[in-house]
Amino acid sequence: MAATKTRVSSFSRNVPATLAPQIPGVKTGPNGTAFVSSGIPDLDRIVGGGFPLGSLVMVMEDPEAPHHMLLLRNFMSQGLVHNQPLLYASTANDPKGFLGTLPSPVTSRADKLSHDDEPVEEKGLRIAWQYKKYFGGSQQILNSQGAMENKHEYGNDFDVRKPLQRQFITGQKVECISLQDCPDLSALRDRCATFLAQFPRKDGSISSVGRIAIQSFCVPECSYFNREWHMLSFIKALRSMIRSSNAVTVVTFLPSVLSPSFSKRWQHMTDMLFSVLAIPDEDKDLAELLTGYQDMVGLLNIHKVARINTQVPVILEATTFSLKLRKRKYLALESLNQAPVDGSSGTSYSTSGSCSSTTSSKPGSLDF
Amino acid sequence: MADSICRTLRDGGLEGEHAPALTIKDRISSPLGLDVFNHVLAQLSSFILAGKSQSRGLVLVALTRSPSFYLELLKSGGVQLNSAQKWIHILDCYSDPLGWKDNPSRHEKANTATDENPGTVALFRDVKDANKLFCSVSELGKDQVSSIFWLLHSDLHEAKIAAVFDYISSMIASLEPMIHPSNGERLSSENRSLRNENLSRGNFSVRFKRRNGRVRQMCEEISVEQSGIKFTPVSSDGQAIGGGPLPKVQFNLELSEKEQMDRASVVLPFEHQGNGKPIQIYDGRRSLADTRTNTVHVPTEASEAADPRKGEIIYLRDSDDERPDSDEDPDDDLDI
Repeated sequence: MAATKTRVSSFSRNVPATLAPQIPGVKTGPNGTAFVSSGIPDLDRIVGGGFPLGSLVMVMEDPEAPHHMLLLRNFMSQGLVHNQPLLYASTANDPKGFLGTLPSPVTSRADKLSHDDEPVEEKGLRIAWQYKKYFGGSQQILNSQGAMENKHEYGNDFDVRKPLQRQFITGQKVECISLQDCPDLSALRDRCATFLAQFPRKDGSISSVGRIAIQSFCVPECSYFNREWHMLSFIKALRSMIRSSNAVTVVTFLPSVLSPSFSKRWQHMTDMLFSVLAIPDEDKDLAELLTGYQDMVGLLNIHKVARINTQVPVILEATTFSLKLRKRKYLALESLNQAPVDGSSGTSYSTSGSCSSTTSSKPGSLDF
Repeated sequence: MADSICRTLRDGGLEGEHAPALTIKDRISSPLGLDVFNHVLAQLSSFILAGKSQSRGLVLVALTRSPSFYLELLKSGGVQLNSAQKWIHILDCYSDPLGWKDNPSRHEKANTATDENPGTVALFRDVKDANKLFCSVSELGKDQVSSIFWLLHSDLHEAKIAAVFDYISSMIASLEPMIHPSNGERLSSENRSLRNENLSRGNFSVRFKRRNGRVRQMCEEISVEQSGIKFTPVSSDGQAIGGGPLPKVQFNLELSEKEQMDRASVVLPFEHQGNGKPIQIYDGRRSLADTRTNTVHVPTEASEAADPRKGEIIYLRDSDDERPDSDEDPDDDLDI
């Protein structure tokens, strides 16, 4: 036990400094957790480092928009770039085809630095309702110049217009499963178990890290669609397997095609919960309300952030973010820059912004 | 807007994309779904005949109306049925959907009856087997599917099933009643007339899933008359529909016109006594009987000439104060 390590709070676990991992792509965090990047640097920053090893991440899809694919693709690409084995399951007949759509990481420095453009100077006085977002800009520039090497190793930006180089995909690192071949989920569970056996978690250093990505787990095309208890027990088994291994799983599912009670059960089962929302097109009201509406692809809501080994909850400043493609290439998350609206016609909200939002598709949390 | 739906179905899907799929949803309070379905069918048929559409034929699964009804409908809509055999195929799931009519002679009679009508009508007798149903549909179609549409009565299905249809379709058209009937079941005369209204008029709203990942929502009013179906654009009532996904913030920076006018006409406390008389401020030195001489001067009000020997209160509104802010800090002369 390192005697000089300062305790952050009385609930934090003391981790000796020698436990720092040697492998790229893994970062240690407080309380003995280790993180891997989600593939989206903005998301890593928002949730406090990345996805913790041993956690189950779920993304609730919107039936009207395919934005969950953006998150999934970045997650998978990040793992492949860091040489982390990947298990991918989807309902397509040939899941390998999806690997061709994975984005490739950005390597040049120039591209990265030009992200942090100065906000356009406007004439006249602007009242900044959300002033904190203007602070972040200068700090980011400093960070990226100083700690460039670290950033490049841990979390990359991905260019969605360039496909991932073949060298990352070929090789023994990627396994694909088609969910249509699994009439019974036990076959899928066995595959996951054998995959996860490669990354057992023992006290000591982390030798290798794996990622599992399951796309659209409960869609009607699957033969197990009507067997909701089956699907739930699969998720439970997966979660327990994940906990005892050095891996992260991302599962996307569609809550509207499940019964409401099962949808809730799934949401409770997971460690991290996001939902993506489609935005209306050519909506003049929304264009007035939000700056940057034209570039927005969709909305991302963060409902739950994984807290492993700690009792301290994380309270996010904002839980709704807009998904944008900067320069049409890089996926970025931005907090909403919203103009105030006449509140006399709306209902009064009594809950304050927190992670525990209510139902799947319509968040009810405030966002100041 | 209904035209844009028909155009999307007509144009079909691009290479590598799923074919456009339309769900028409109605409910008991607004049962106009069949009229919309027939309208779309007639439009699509005329496109196919004119050769303007990506598809060259139509397969119709007749579940709630007989095939002859549809053929009559198309004929009355001006669609020529002479060469109908080439492009329209009807799967008749109406005459005998569950195979109850076992009698072979009667079965033949049904067949001969349909021979008079042009167009191939295939009898289907096993609606319970969905696999077989879809196999028959694709057999009749013989080719790739260019577009597909269906009518769903949302009251008859579980929410989950309706959600599945929403998930797989690229356009969702729903019919809502114009006037929502009251919740009570009492058959008062008002309710009855409202319901009758809802039988011929409704709100037609469509959600399009666009290729850029966004959703386009459009609304129209629909009215069904003897002459046919009519779509009229809805008058906007100023309510924002798209406030759903965003959290509401309860501040307002700008004043509307009315609010600005109201603000200009507010009389500030210093300027009125509350009873219509000119302002009288009691300064403690005179009795109330002498209040006439203590009238406050207000620049905007016509006032009596004040006695220069008496005290005055001159009140200037901040908004009337034209002097620009000086650079002095007013706290400079504080001497603490």
